[in-house]
Amino acid sequence: MATSRCVSALALMLCSAAFAAESIAPLGAYTLLERRHWAFRPRAHPEVPKFSETVDRKWAATPVDAFILARLKKESLQPSPPADRATLIRRVCFDLTGLPPAPAEVASFLANRSSDAWEKLVERLLASPHYGERWGQHWLDVVRFSETDGFEYDTHRPDAWRYRDYVIRAFNNDKPYDRFLLEQLAGDEIAPQEDEDLIAAGFNRLGPLRKNAGNQEVASSRNEVLTEMTNIVGSALLGVTLGCARCHDHKFDPFRQSDYYRLQAYFAATNGEDVPRFTPEEQAAWKAKREPVEREMKELREAMKHAKQEEQAEFEKRLEDLEDRMPPPLPALFSVSDDPAKRTAIHLLARGDYRSKGDAVGMRPPGVLLPDNVPDLPPETGNPRSMLAKWVIDPQNPLTARVMVNRIWEYHFGRGIVATPNDFGRMGERPTHPELLDYLAKEFVASGYSVKHVHRLILLSNAYRQRSAVPEKSTALEKDPDNKLLWRFSRRRLEAEELRDAMLAVAGNLNPGAGGPSVMVPIEKELVNALYKPSQWQVTPDPARHNRRSVYLIAKRNLRLPFLEVFDAPDSLVSCPRRESSTHAPQALELLNGGFSNREAKVLAARLAAESSRSYRRQIDLAYRLAAGRAPTERELQLALEFLRKESKRAGDEKACEEFALAMFNLNAFLYVN
Amino acid sequence: MPEHLRITRNRREFLRDACCGFGGLAFAQMLMREDARAATLNPLAPKAPDMPDKAKAKSVIFLFMAGGPSHIETFDPKPLLNQLSGQKRPAEFGEAKYQFISSDARLLGTKRTFRRYGKSGVEVSDLLPHIGECIDDIAVIRSCRGDMVVHSAAQYQLFTGRIIPGFPSMGSWVIYGLGSESESLPAYVVMPDPKGALEAGQPMYTNGFLPAVYQPTTFRPGGKPVLNLDLPAGTSMEDRRKTLGLIRDLNQAEMHPGDTEFSARLNAYDLAFKMQTEAPAIFDLSNEPAPTLEMYGVGKEPTDDYGRRCLLARRLVEKGVRFVCVVSGGGPGNMQWDAHDDIEENHLRMAAHTDQPVAALLKDLKRRGLLDSTLVFWGGEFGRSPESQGSKGRDHHNLGFSMWLAGGGIKGGQVVGATDAIGLHAVENPSHLRDIHTTILNQLGLNQDALSYLHQGRKERLTEIHGNVIEQIV
Repeated sequence: MATSRCVSALALMLCSAAFAAESIAPLGAYTLLERRHWAFRPRAHPEVPKFSETVDRKWAATPVDAFILARLKKESLQPSPPADRATLIRRVCFDLTGLPPAPAEVASFLANRSSDAWEKLVERLLASPHYGERWGQHWLDVVRFSETDGFEYDTHRPDAWRYRDYVIRAFNNDKPYDRFLLEQLAGDEIAPQEDEDLIAAGFNRLGPLRKNAGNQEVASSRNEVLTEMTNIVGSALLGVTLGCARCHDHKFDPFRQSDYYRLQAYFAATNGEDVPRFTPEEQAAWKAKREPVEREMKELREAMKHAKQEEQAEFEKRLEDLEDRMPPPLPALFSVSDDPAKRTAIHLLARGDYRSKGDAVGMRPPGVLLPDNVPDLPPETGNPRSMLAKWVIDPQNPLTARVMVNRIWEYHFGRGIVATPNDFGRMGERPTHPELLDYLAKEFVASGYSVKHVHRLILLSNAYRQRSAVPEKSTALEKDPDNKLLWRFSRRRLEAEELRDAMLAVAGNLNPGAGGPSVMVPIEKELVNALYKPSQWQVTPDPARHNRRSVYLIAKRNLRLPFLEVFDAPDSLVSCPRRESSTHAPQALELLNGGFSNREAKVLAARLAAESSRSYRRQIDLAYRLAAGRAPTERELQLALEFLRKESKRAGDEKACEEFALAMFNLNAFLYVN
Repeated sequence: MPEHLRITRNRREFLRDACCGFGGLAFAQMLMREDARAATLNPLAPKAPDMPDKAKAKSVIFLFMAGGPSHIETFDPKPLLNQLSGQKRPAEFGEAKYQFISSDARLLGTKRTFRRYGKSGVEVSDLLPHIGECIDDIAVIRSCRGDMVVHSAAQYQLFTGRIIPGFPSMGSWVIYGLGSESESLPAYVVMPDPKGALEAGQPMYTNGFLPAVYQPTTFRPGGKPVLNLDLPAGTSMEDRRKTLGLIRDLNQAEMHPGDTEFSARLNAYDLAFKMQTEAPAIFDLSNEPAPTLEMYGVGKEPTDDYGRRCLLARRLVEKGVRFVCVVSGGGPGNMQWDAHDDIEENHLRMAAHTDQPVAALLKDLKRRGLLDSTLVFWGGEFGRSPESQGSKGRDHHNLGFSMWLAGGGIKGGQVVGATDAIGLHAVENPSHLRDIHTTILNQLGLNQDALSYLHQGRKERLTEIHGNVIEQIV
C-alpha cells in the first residue's frame, strides 16, 4: 500500500522500543478508505499543464498560472486582464508589508517600464523589515499569541513579546519553515543554551492559563494545559481538528481518542519555564527594591485581618497601590522545559474528563499516518518534543508542507486552495486545485522550506496580477460567484491592524520603531475599569511609542482595543486561520467619532496643508495619492472641492480640512485593496 | 461577489444545514437568495426563528447576579439545615468540592425566613419581598447545576456554554439567529455594574469566533452609555451630517451599483447616523413619569443604579433590542454576591440593591403587554455552600442552586426540581446550565442544533452537547 511505503521509514525511526504498560489502548488499524482521504496521501508529482493556443501559453507564464488556467478552461472561464500598475503596487505593498505605498514609490514604479520592474518591487518588499511584521502577524493569529494568561487574573507575561519578535525575525530572515517548527516545538531540547531556541519553545505555552485562589484543582488545570499544547499542534501545524478526538473518537476523520492522547503524551513532561536572563548584581538590586514594598504589604495584610468590614475596600486599594510600586520583573525567557519528575501519566480520558482515566498510552503520531499497529514510544523517552517535531517536519509528512503553502496562498488571495486552512479533514473544504497545492508543497520542501520562495512563485504569476473588477458581460460571476477558481483577484477590506497602521502611515506619524516590550496606548478609563485589575493597564510613558505598528501593541486577552475588535481582530483564545470581514454600523461609528480616527484626521489635515501649499485642489490630490495610492478621478476631485469650499465658509478652513481628512479614512478607496 | 461578507456565507451554510433535513434544496436556495439580499444590506436585519410555532419570546433580559447568590437565602428553604447548623455534613448527603473551604467545614443555617407568595404559594425569602409579589409569573428552577466552582470558568459556562473563554455568548448566538428589530439601537447590550469588573472579564460577553457584527455593546455608566455615539469635541451635528454626505458621495462616485458589499457599507453609515440621532433619546430616562421612576426605585438609595439600568432595559426591549444583560455586582468579591465572609451582610445589601428594581421590571413589562414577548432570566454563575466559610460566610457551590425564568411564554408560579434537604445536590429533575440555555433558545423559537456555526471543523453551538428543554415550564 502506497501509504505504508511512504511512512515506513518514519515508522522505523519512531518505534525503536515498544511501550509496555499494563493496559494499553489499541494501536489502531485503519481502512483503505480512511487512509485514502486526499490530505493523508503522499504528495503527487503533478505535471504542469501545457497549452496549445498562443494566448494561453502567453498567460500561463508560470506553473502557478498554468494550473489556474487549466482549471478555468475546464469551466470555460477566462482569467481577467491585468490590473493597472497603481493598483498592483498598492496590492502587493499591503500584502507583503501591511502598509500603503508612499506616493513617491507609486510614481517611481509607474515610471519604471523595464521588464523586471515588478520582480524588483517584489524583491524590495520581501527584503523590507515590515514584511516580517505583516507575515509575523499571520502566524501570531494561527498560534493564538497573547501576552496574558486570560481567565480572571489575566496575568501579564512580561517576556512574551520576545516570541513575537522571534516570529518577525524568522519571517524576515526566511528561516526555513522546518527549522521554524522544530524550534517552536522543541527549541529547549535541541539547543538549551540558545536564547533564540528557548524563546521559540515558548510556543508550547501560548494558550490561556487558568489559575485560581483557594483549593487548587491541580489535575484539572494540568489537563487544560496539556489540552492547549496538544490541540495547537493539530490546528496550527497539521491542519486537522485533532482536538475533536479529546472526548471521543473523531466523528468524521480517522483520529481515534487513542491518537489524541498519544499525541498528548509527547507533552507529558513539558512545563512552563521562565529562564532568567539577569546578572546576580541585577537580581540583588531588584530584591533591594522589592523587599521594602513586600514588607509593607505584609504589614498591611496583617492589619487588614483586624480591620472592620467597611475599611476593607480602602485596604484593598492600598494593597493595589503597593503592588504597582513593585519593580518590574527581571528579564527572563518565556519558555518550557521537560521535567521528568513532573511528568503527567497520560491516559485515555472518558469524555475528556481528567477524573475518568482509561488505558495508559505512550507517544505516537496519529495512526492513520503510520502503518497499522505501529507501537508507541515509552512515556519516559528523552527529548520527546524533538521526536514529535522530527515527524512533523519530515519531508514525507503529507500535511505539514501542504498546510503551510495553503496558508501562504490564503493570505495572498483571501481564500486558501483549501478554504478551511485549519481543517484538511472531511468536514473541511476540498482543495479547488489539488495539483497546484501539491506543486507548491513540493517546491516548498525542495527549496529548503523557504517561505519567500513560495511568495515569489505566487507573486510573479499572472493570476496574482489580475484585475479585481468584474468584466462587463461576464458569465463568471454566475458560474463562480465566490471566485474559487480565481478568474479575477478578490478585493479585500484591510484587516484591523493594517487599517490602524495605514491611518498612521497616511497621516505621516507612524513610528517605524521595531521590537521590544509591547506598548500600552491610552484608552478610555471605562475600559481600564472594566479590567478585574485595572492597575494592569500601565500606559507606555513615551507617547511616540503609541504610534507604533499594531503588532507591537500589547496582546491582552481580557482587553482588546475596541478599534481592532470592531474590525474583526481575533480574540487570541483559539487559533485563527482566517480573519472574518464583517460590515456593520459600529465600524462606521468608530471611524467617524472614534478618538483615534479623529486624532489622525487632524494630523493628516496638517500634513496636507503643509505639503500642498494650501491649495484645495492639491490637497485633495495628495490625500488620494496617500490614502488610495492614486490620483482622484475628476468626479471625486469636484465633489471634494465643493465640500471644502462650502464647508470652509460654514465651519472654517481648519475644520473643513480636518473633516475632509476624516472622510478619507472612511472611503472604500482607502479601506479596500483592489 | 467575493466572499467578503462572511456572514452571508455562514448564514447560507446555516440555512443549507437547516433545510437539508426536510430535503427542500430548491426551498433552501430560495431562502438563500432572499436571505442574501436582506443580509448583505444589513447583517442584523431581523430573521425568522427556525421553530416559529415555539417562538414566544422576542427579547431576553438576563438579570445576572454576579458572584453567585445563595439559593439557601433566596428561593430554596432548607429547614433541616437550620437544625444541623454547626454540625459536620452527614455522610448520606455525599461529597462536594469547594474552592476555599475544606472538607471539615460545618453546616451553616440561615437567618432568613420564607413565606408563600401569590396564588401559587411558592416560597421566597424575606430578602426579596418585591420579587415575591411577582411569583405567579416566575418559574423557579431549584435544581440548577454547573460544572465549575471557580468564578471565571463558571461565568464562561453560564454565558457561553463552555468552561474556557473563546466561545460566543448567548447574546451573540441569539442575535446571530434572530438579528435585531431595532435599527437605531445595538442588538445586544451589556450593562455592567459600575462598581467594577468581573472575573471572566470581557471574553464572557463577546462574540467569540462569530463575526464582529455579533459583538455586544457594553454600556458605560452615566447618560452617554455608548462609545462613539457622541460627537468628538469640537464637532457639531451639522459638521457630522456634512462629512457623512461627503463620504457617501465619494464612495458612490466610483461604485458599481450592483456592488452588495459597498452597498452594505453605505447602509452601515446610514444606520450609524440613525443610532447617533435616535438612540440618545432612548437612553434619557427623564421623560419617564414619576410613578414609574419611583416604582423602579430611581432617585433613592440603594436602588437608584440598578433601578435605572432595569428601566433602561425595558426601554431597550420595547424598541426591539434583542438581548440585554443587566449585571448586579462587580469589583472585589464582596461587592458582588460573592459572600465568602458574611452571608448576612452581603446578601442583605445586594438584595436591597436589586429586589425592588427587578420586581418593577416584571410589573412594568407586564402592564405594557411586553412580558409575553420578553423572557426574563435571573441567576448567578453558581449558588453557595450549605457549609460555612469562616464563621458566617458561604463558599461557591455549583452542584445545586436556584435560578428563575419569567415571561416569554414561561409558565410562572411554579417550582421545578429540588435539591436535597440541606441544599447540597440537585436531586430532582436536575437542570444543567445547558438545559437552561436550550430552554431560552426554545422560547425564542431557536433550535439548539440549527443555531450552529462551522468553526475549525466543528459545528459549534451554544449548548455544546445536547441540552433539554425544561418542559414543565414552557
